[in-house]
Amino acid sequence: EVQFFHQSKWLVLLCIHSTSAPESPRQFDCRSREKETFSCWWEPGSDGGLPTEYRLFYEIEKGVRECPDYVSAGENSCFFDKRHTSFWAEYIMMVVATNALGNASAQFQIPDVMNYVKPDPPVNVTVVVNSSAPSPFLEIRWKSPPNVDVRTGWVTPKYELRVKQNDSKEWKTVDIGAQTFFNFHNVEHGLLYMVQVRCNLDYGKWSEWSNTIFAKIPKHHQLEKYFWIFVFVFSLIPLLTAMYILVLKRKVVKQCLLPPVPGPKIKGVDVHLLKSGQSEDVVNALTGNQNFPPMAAWTEQVEDFLLVSDSDEWLLTDTFASEEKKDIFIIPASLHLGLEIQCGDSTVDLNTWEKTDDSKEETKSNFLNTEPINLPIEKQECLSGEEVSIQPNTSYVDIQQRPTLTDYSRVKEVNGDTILILNEEEIPHGSDAVKVKREVSVPDDYSRVKEVNSDVVFLEKGDSKPIMPHDSELSKGFCSKMIANGYVDSVPSFSVK
Amino acid sequence: MSSMRAASSCTNGQTGCHFLSLANLFDRVIQHSARMHGISNDLHSEFELYFLPSKNQIGRVSRNCHTSTILTPNGKENAQRIAREELTEVILKLLVAWREPLWHFHQNMAQHHEFNNFSSNKSLEMSDMVHELRRGVQKVVEKMQMLGVISSSLGNLASPEALLASDRAEWRLMNDYDLLYCFRRDSNKIQNYLKILKCRIVPEHRC
Repeated sequence: EVQFFHQSKWLVLLCIHSTSAPESPRQFDCRSREKETFSCWWEPGSDGGLPTEYRLFYEIEKGVRECPDYVSAGENSCFFDKRHTSFWAEYIMMVVATNALGNASAQFQIPDVMNYVKPDPPVNVTVVVNSSAPSPFLEIRWKSPPNVDVRTGWVTPKYELRVKQNDSKEWKTVDIGAQTFFNFHNVEHGLLYMVQVRCNLDYGKWSEWSNTIFAKIPKHHQLEKYFWIFVFVFSLIPLLTAMYILVLKRKVVKQCLLPPVPGPKIKGVDVHLLKSGQSEDVVNALTGNQNFPPMAAWTEQVEDFLLVSDSDEWLLTDTFASEEKKDIFIIPASLHLGLEIQCGDSTVDLNTWEKTDDSKEETKSNFLNTEPINLPIEKQECLSGEEVSIQPNTSYVDIQQRPTLTDYSRVKEVNGDTILILNEEEIPHGSDAVKVKREVSVPDDYSRVKEVNSDVVFLEKGDSKPIMPHDSELSKGFCSKMIANGYVDSVPSFSVK
Repeated sequence: MSSMRAASSCTNGQTGCHFLSLANLFDRVIQHSARMHGISNDLHSEFELYFLPSKNQIGRVSRNCHTSTILTPNGKENAQRIAREELTEVILKLLVAWREPLWHFHQNMAQHHEFNNFSSNKSLEMSDMVHELRRGVQKVVEKMQMLGVISSSLGNLASPEALLASDRAEWRLMNDYDLLYCFRRDSNKIQNYLKILKCRIVPEHRC
């Protein structure tokens, strides 16, 4: 019975003070934050009611060593600094729990610390709302965790970010790569968004998500919308009106914008003949089937410019001027071609006139029209000049400067002796041409005129008489008139003797 | 990309120009090695599904790696401390050592039909990559020697097979799982060493 009592005493003692040896540690985990050092933690088992000490021993390659640092990584941990860290090397870890009553241990294998690389989350995450048109977006920037060494190339962080509306539950995740910024476009006005970023090192484990950054997109002004709708509608009204007018009043508009242009019409010319005909026909159509005499060579082509003066010295006497009001020189542009005024013996061909026509620049524009039209050359008369306005269709020259004008009229024929041959019939309609007078008085200052140049047409001093007396008179008058007034045709075909 | 363009415009034989092209070469082989490591990682994960080894198995897997005999720097400091030539030599040794084993591994995979085509393609890719990467690193070495960055004492690496003639049979002792595990580790080493080497030789270029 004493034995039993003693046994029961022990039992009681045991029940009151239930201590035991510790349990072996459970759960072992390690982590490297920057791929240079690493830490390991274990979960202690029951300590058996007694203060328990934990120690870690590791074996790598050869030899067993003890944990260099139990403190830096917290309780129940071991921190391996750079000197004690070996990558691609296998660690066999043994954690021993010891208390007064015993000990317990567990073994853990770390085949490669590389497998436990898990960085810290990125830092300095900033989100800026960019509200530019047409759609807003978030400018997200961050930095790699500070303990990561990118400089030596030992570590290449890769990032991932995610964005979520405040209300919704689903995140939109974006794979970033190695850059540290991103523009997130899938956002709408007036909503609040949450942004997070994380990283991993060399395809290891992902870090934790960074702190959440909130960003609110400002509301789109509803008024702006209404304003633009308003403007749009109002601008449509004139547009529609314009279209209405255009459609209904097509013809009027067309008339206004594109007035009909009169086709060209040349008297005696058939347009269709021109189009379809041969060149001969064309020429004939234009010249009216005239057979020109063969061309003679130029005798002289001295280009001298004639001085034209308004002074009265050049004018005929007033009596003369007044008396022959009806004498008009009608000078068509065709004068160039058909008109040949010759006061002398030299023979100038009609055709020379044509040539002169080519040298348009030699003519005085205030004297003659520049339009070269091969009008038929007919007998025409010199007329003493009155101011004649010349109609455009006959290309008469508008001479405005003098009370007495010398207009050239069309010359019908030119031969060696005759000069101007005017034809009454050929005076075109609408002109103010007056009947040709055949008698023209001779001016007094011939000598003066003679000095001008050899191209000036002027009458002889009366030595030779032209064959056709009336013509010669005419020519005289014409010439004198011309000279007296200072108008001279600068066409070089004029020759004077 | 801009650096690539800059390199192409460099036609004369300036030193700066050569360094630029060397940096580009490095980038290319590093990308290549990163991809190779990625594939080996994928394949290893797939194998874990089949074999399901216990997490805390006691067994020195690393002992089974046939490349354990090659001395390799075990961290950043060591990799930076050893000579450039030595580091380059280590890289080449590793690449040479894996050519045959991976080729045979792929042959095995093609025959065993329990592995899907996905894994089979990856093993072939892996095998090709290690071969190409070795050629790429060889080119880098030649360029470095031409530039005088490293000494020409690496001439013996032209036939690196000679180095590992004695180790030829060791890899046959590995089972498939160990082989994948060992290659995953070695491909990670190759990638990291290449990055360190690049930043030591052409530091300003994206380091």
